[in-house]
Amino acid sequence: MFRFQKEQKIINIAGVKIGGQPGELATVLAGTIFYPNHRIVEDDGQGIFDKKKAEDIINKQSACADETGNPCIVHIFGSSEVGIKKYIEFVSGITEAPFLIDSTEARVRMEGVKYVTEVGLADRAINNSINMAITDDEIEVLKHSDVDASIVMGFNAMDSSLEGRIALLENGANVTEKGLIQIAEDCGISKILIDPSITPIGNGAGIALRMTLVAKAKWGFPVGSGIHNAPSSWNWLRNKKKDDILIFKACDVGSIGLQQMAAGDFILYGPIENAPYVFPMAAMADIMIAEAAADFDITPEENHPINRLV
Amino acid sequence: MNYMHGWPVVKGDYQVGSDKSRICVVTLASHFELAPECMKKVALIGPCHTENLGIEKIIANVVANPNIRFILVCGEESRGHMSGNTLKAIHANAIDGNGRIIGSEGAIPFIENIPEDAVRRFQAQVQLIDRIGETDMQNILRIIEEYYGKGDAFSEPPMIVLAGKKKRKRERLEIRGRGDIVISKDVSLDISSGIIT
Repeated sequence: MFRFQKEQKIINIAGVKIGGQPGELATVLAGTIFYPNHRIVEDDGQGIFDKKKAEDIINKQSACADETGNPCIVHIFGSSEVGIKKYIEFVSGITEAPFLIDSTEARVRMEGVKYVTEVGLADRAINNSINMAITDDEIEVLKHSDVDASIVMGFNAMDSSLEGRIALLENGANVTEKGLIQIAEDCGISKILIDPSITPIGNGAGIALRMTLVAKAKWGFPVGSGIHNAPSSWNWLRNKKKDDILIFKACDVGSIGLQQMAAGDFILYGPIENAPYVFPMAAMADIMIAEAAADFDITPEENHPINRLV
Repeated sequence: MNYMHGWPVVKGDYQVGSDKSRICVVTLASHFELAPECMKKVALIGPCHTENLGIEKIIANVVANPNIRFILVCGEESRGHMSGNTLKAIHANAIDGNGRIIGSEGAIPFIENIPEDAVRRFQAQVQLIDRIGETDMQNILRIIEEYYGKGDAFSEPPMIVLAGKKKRKRERLEIRGRGDIVISKDVSLDISSGIIT
């Protein structure tokens, strides 16, 4: 194992601590709800969904977190302005956990950010994300909001190399006027989480693992990713589902361990229904990392899986 | 023309039909299954969710097969990514000096792995049939029927670009620090102390 020379920041979002040296804090796990084609969603445009089922899967994730000691985040995905508000309202009423506001559409994310500010939920919200496509409108909305936590995405569509991704965060890489970290700080984001961006397997997915190490060594921010997107976007593996769904599941859940071994602090693990498989996997990796890091004078926090499960 | 050994050149989430067909079908955020007899009439059919890597794959496979002269763009638009809008934009306007697809409304419409001459070739080789939003299988099959044998192959030979990871830039790392394990130009791991600096 290893430790970073650079001091590692630990941020606290609604009581959930993220970051630190490898072996110090349990990996924080975020399961996605209301994702495209999620069976519990009846009308995404109007934000109509099966509330009983939604409550069950959110509670299931919380139970997994309580059991292993890996804190959880609810990753809320919405495709409409109406929907995202209803989803946030519902999730925040079910759990005390922090939540991510995510959408492929900026207008939906902005509506979510405005909504949490209006109703006083901003201290539990994480914007997902500040990326190379950020608009002036988004910057203004974030500036005028109470949201102070955001993922900053290292996806550089013009140069997906490690250097290109780092440059985007550092100086804008001729894509944005400033580096994305500076833009985040200008927006009042004091709790920065770096996502090195998982591109498909064959298109540089592995670079994200190296960037995790580099970003932590360079800036000390918490770093993590949606690494399950690598196996999910791998056509060869997807075709294996026909033979045996476990082949896909093993890679999907197993990918989490790769991100943890590359010093990841948080993981967006995909569909929240996978929580019963993901949490034990992450807890096991956390325990082994903590054991390996013990000689570095790293003391795992009280709730770390090593203090709860062994 | 029949020189399609090794085509399609880039793998993706699509079904391959006949490399002699004049038409390929981009279904954007939708997924359609064609019956085997219909597959014989399309070169490729499959979704395109993203406005960058997805578009690159389409261009790479199209310019590598001069038999393809038409692209049917159908299915539900990919929200936020706007891959259908972006495909139309790159066909109409190409890219600027930074690789940005001119006129695209997608979130991150950039081309990284395709040279500009391949984009120009794509513009010249194919016509787009814009049916964004169309999900009626009967209508889609009618268009395939009309175009799969229409006209001649493109007059120029296949252009091979984006051979997947072979095109990826290789970084040559110079070891500057004292670390034993090099992670990047300025980040390394000293194995005796286990410290990353």
